[in-house]
Amino acid sequence: MKYAFFPGCTMANRLQFAEKSVRMVVPEFGIELVDLAFTCCPEQNSVRSLSEDTWVTFAARNIALAEAESLDILTACAGCHESLTLAKYELDTNPERKEKANEILEDMGLEYKGTSSIIHVHQFLFDEIGVETISAKVVRPVPIKVVTHSGCHLLRPQKIMQVDDAEAPVKLDMLCEAIGMESLEYMDKVMCCGAGVRKTDSETSYAVLREKMTSITMVEPDAMIVFCPTCFITFESGQRVTNRLFGTEFKLPVFYYTELLAIAMGLPDTDMLLADHRVKIELPKFVDTKKEDSESISTGL
Amino acid sequence: MVDDSHNQEFEELRKAARPCFQCGICASSCPVFRVTPQMNPRMSVDSIITDGEIPREGAEWLCAFCLMCEERCPMGVSLAEILMGIKNISSKEGKAPPDYVESGEALLAKGSLSPTSNRSDKKRVALGLPDLPQPDLEQVKLIFKATGAYDVLEANRAAVKEEAE
Repeated sequence: MKYAFFPGCTMANRLQFAEKSVRMVVPEFGIELVDLAFTCCPEQNSVRSLSEDTWVTFAARNIALAEAESLDILTACAGCHESLTLAKYELDTNPERKEKANEILEDMGLEYKGTSSIIHVHQFLFDEIGVETISAKVVRPVPIKVVTHSGCHLLRPQKIMQVDDAEAPVKLDMLCEAIGMESLEYMDKVMCCGAGVRKTDSETSYAVLREKMTSITMVEPDAMIVFCPTCFITFESGQRVTNRLFGTEFKLPVFYYTELLAIAMGLPDTDMLLADHRVKIELPKFVDTKKEDSESISTGL
Repeated sequence: MVDDSHNQEFEELRKAARPCFQCGICASSCPVFRVTPQMNPRMSVDSIITDGEIPREGAEWLCAFCLMCEERCPMGVSLAEILMGIKNISSKEGKAPPDYVESGEALLAKGSLSPTSNRSDKKRVALGLPDLPQPDLEQVKLIFKATGAYDVLEANRAAVKEEAE
């Protein structure tokens, strides 16, 4: 089976190791990823704020590219996923909008029909593959304590996104447990990372991050697991800014889920995924009871 | 003061805001309100319903679009969508913050908000990632032209220039 892969600008140009981990893991489940000439999704806060019509038409063009190849779209960024999904909802429920967008797409030889669906790697792994199948592929469990942050744009609005429960998400926790991690509950689990307001007021944005990190560190996790490159960058790099601004001392390692899945599945070359992490973690040594020798999990350190 | 009473955009916002009974769960769920109380989704809606005005004094740009407010609204009011509508109106009036205008310019120039750079290309090669097919920039321009984004950018460029002078 094939998907049109939509890594999005942030993942492709700023968090390449996370994209690499998706491209390592997904083919292991029999999927081929196809790259198309997508533009920015476009990001709602930046582009939709300027013009609703512009946002929906760019999204319609991206989806129409996949439809022309008869492919569904696999997204990897929560922001891209929500932008494309909300635009699709708008186009599928508002015939006037669809017609207006198609008048523009016609000049490019494209048409938005509404035939391609859009799924995020989170949904692909949990809904299409399932935790049992993932568990069965694990050869090197990763026994660390983690907190999960699914990302606002995967969770809300729940009635359209349909990824997980918007108030009490558990699916990413189950995916973590499937590869040997212990997932901890924490206050403010569904709170925003603050990224969305960084352009307008960066101090407010890092104050939101400070609130979220304060709740996270109360339960003393070893690391944090996300499913969005923007959330990843906000948590990993933003901690340092937050520390400088507010005198806090956050230093929590962050992972995009498929990085640790690749390690748990024993895939080769996972060192290169972790090499660029700014907050390092030494993953516990792996003891394989079936083998005589113990191997340590490569951390890229 | 701008008279919004007969404005079609205002009518749409009022229709969307009408079920609100000012319970305030939106504000108490808002991560931005928690640290910066001038961002208050309830007040924005109140201004539309009670005062008959579109509040565009800038608070709309403090919305992180996390959608917590509308997820929890007992009346199903889409507050983030209402704030998005207000941002669209204030963008047309040339009041978009400079960073937003920059994003629009980046999309127009490259079709991307975080465009490729030598550094990012090197990183992609080192990781063995494929070259991603690039969009036809003529198509990008076409969408800008046909959806009014050129005009919005122009209105904001003019405002940025005026402020500089």
